[in-house]
Amino acid sequence: MRRWLLPESIEDLLPAEARQVEHLRRGLLDEFALHGYELVAPPLVEYIESLLTGSGRDMDLRTFKLVDQLSGRTMGLRADITPQVARIDSHLLNRNGVVRLCYCGPVVHALPAGFNATREPIQLGAELYGHAGIEADLEMVQLLLRALEVAGVQPARIDFGHVGVFRALAARLQSPALRVEDGQQELFVALQSKDLPSLRQLLADEPAEVRDAFLALPGLYGTSDVLARARSLLPDLPEVRAALDALERIAAAVDPAVAGFDLADLRGYHYHSGVSFAAYCAGQAQAIALGGRYDEVGLAFGRARPATGFSLDLRQLAQLAPAVAPRAGILAPSSGDAALRARVSALRAEGEIVITALPGHDEDMQELACSRQLVFVEGEWQVKPLERKV
Amino acid sequence: MQGITLALSKGRIFEETLPLLAAAGIVPTDDPESSRKLIIGTNRPDVRLVIVRASDTPTYVQYGAADLGIAGKDVLLEHGGAGLYQPIDLNIARCRLSVAVPKGFDYEQAVRRGARLQVATKYVHTAREHFAAKGVHVDLIKLYGSMELAPLVGLADAIVDLVSSGGTLRANNLVEVEHIMDISSRLVINQAALKVKHDLLKPILEAIEGAVKK
Repeated sequence: MRRWLLPESIEDLLPAEARQVEHLRRGLLDEFALHGYELVAPPLVEYIESLLTGSGRDMDLRTFKLVDQLSGRTMGLRADITPQVARIDSHLLNRNGVVRLCYCGPVVHALPAGFNATREPIQLGAELYGHAGIEADLEMVQLLLRALEVAGVQPARIDFGHVGVFRALAARLQSPALRVEDGQQELFVALQSKDLPSLRQLLADEPAEVRDAFLALPGLYGTSDVLARARSLLPDLPEVRAALDALERIAAAVDPAVAGFDLADLRGYHYHSGVSFAAYCAGQAQAIALGGRYDEVGLAFGRARPATGFSLDLRQLAQLAPAVAPRAGILAPSSGDAALRARVSALRAEGEIVITALPGHDEDMQELACSRQLVFVEGEWQVKPLERKV
Repeated sequence: MQGITLALSKGRIFEETLPLLAAAGIVPTDDPESSRKLIIGTNRPDVRLVIVRASDTPTYVQYGAADLGIAGKDVLLEHGGAGLYQPIDLNIARCRLSVAVPKGFDYEQAVRRGARLQVATKYVHTAREHFAAKGVHVDLIKLYGSMELAPLVGLADAIVDLVSSGGTLRANNLVEVEHIMDISSRLVINQAALKVKHDLLKPILEAIEGAVKK
């Protein structure tokens, strides 16, 4: 094995890509700050119990584990920052009002989250705690749209779902096999993959009303007509009505040309509790941003708080965003001249890139990407166009 | 790619898919049996077909290299189905996945005794699940074809394979001893494509579903 090879699905960010990622990171965090989101930076490792709180088994499998040699307890490398931020809100800040937090950092996945996915995404997100009303969901969707605009990425589709519909129907299942968690997991997998033949089999013993409602779910996706179809196909239960009303209000905030719905999209069903949303881009086989409401997660940390938010992977976003060209610098000779040093400092203070040409590297000068140089003319250091050696 | 790409394998699946595509107004311009082209155009400029190995179909669709695909349930079970929607059972390329042993081998007895069976198969994942559910210990031997040969030359006690008419089994002195599941082909769809290209895909899906029901 060659020593410099990286593990599977782990990669370096080389200058061009790193520049892109950093440009996006600053742009997005600055934008979040303008909306009142405070930056937090949770640790890369912490005890496994708090990392896996409220998440499903997928998250357990996805988390790298190690033994803390100080305490003998199992620690995990975070695979998702969201539960960490929920812990900060519920336990450390102890504010009663609305809390807005944002974060950006690498997470590590023992198993890649999807095909072709990196095992070290750079997760960037924003979370809003303390407001159960739809205004908070709306704010998150609008913030996501603004973030994509800042990044220069055009979403092809913003897709909305609501776990409330599935929960309301699941509460009315009759057969004992489907009332236990394993059975519901099977139902959930079949719905998630819109696998109608398997759904028919699983629901064979259910009363017609429940069965027909479940069988309608996989078809309830698409654009503006979905909610009207849902109202006619699904039973008129108060929870279902509330969920569809919420979806209707929230979708109104999005350009109808990109708004979509999928009532069988149960991603994050283990911790989501209300409206969920995903942004898709043309040519991408996976969503580029995921978000939604998860009111119960804080409970495990001592305080259940209404919560909603979204996150995205900066590496993926960087591939979609318009390229950031490197800025050309000014080449300065290597010299002890005090006037030169003062001029270089002044230029840097103005935001110019000034690179010192160290002696003996004239051959490789073009690697420094400079367009100008400092030349001593008429008794002062002046910036002149760089003469290319032929 | 702005239009729609459909992945499918040549042979039985291709032939039995043609009427379903025709119902959606799609007619291929070439026959993969006579043409060596791997990308086949259709009468619709925005729809093309890609010809892949049957077991590769879910992979092409999962990665978004194709928006749609037609894959046997056997292949989907081995693949796991991650990232795919599989809404329609096309009821084509029907067969069954079964356990077969040489004539005279007492399968029931061997399983009951708790012996460790040697099983040759192309469907390692599905076979492992099946025997694990029965509580039978097996050593699986992955083969890529001609499974029927394995028990005849002492490579395995039993095979797990697709059976349609049973002719190949009979010709090689094997008997079907256990039916694992019925197999037919499914329409699979890339999850992001269904959302992003919904307007293009919906009429095609509805036409195919309508044709299947008839």
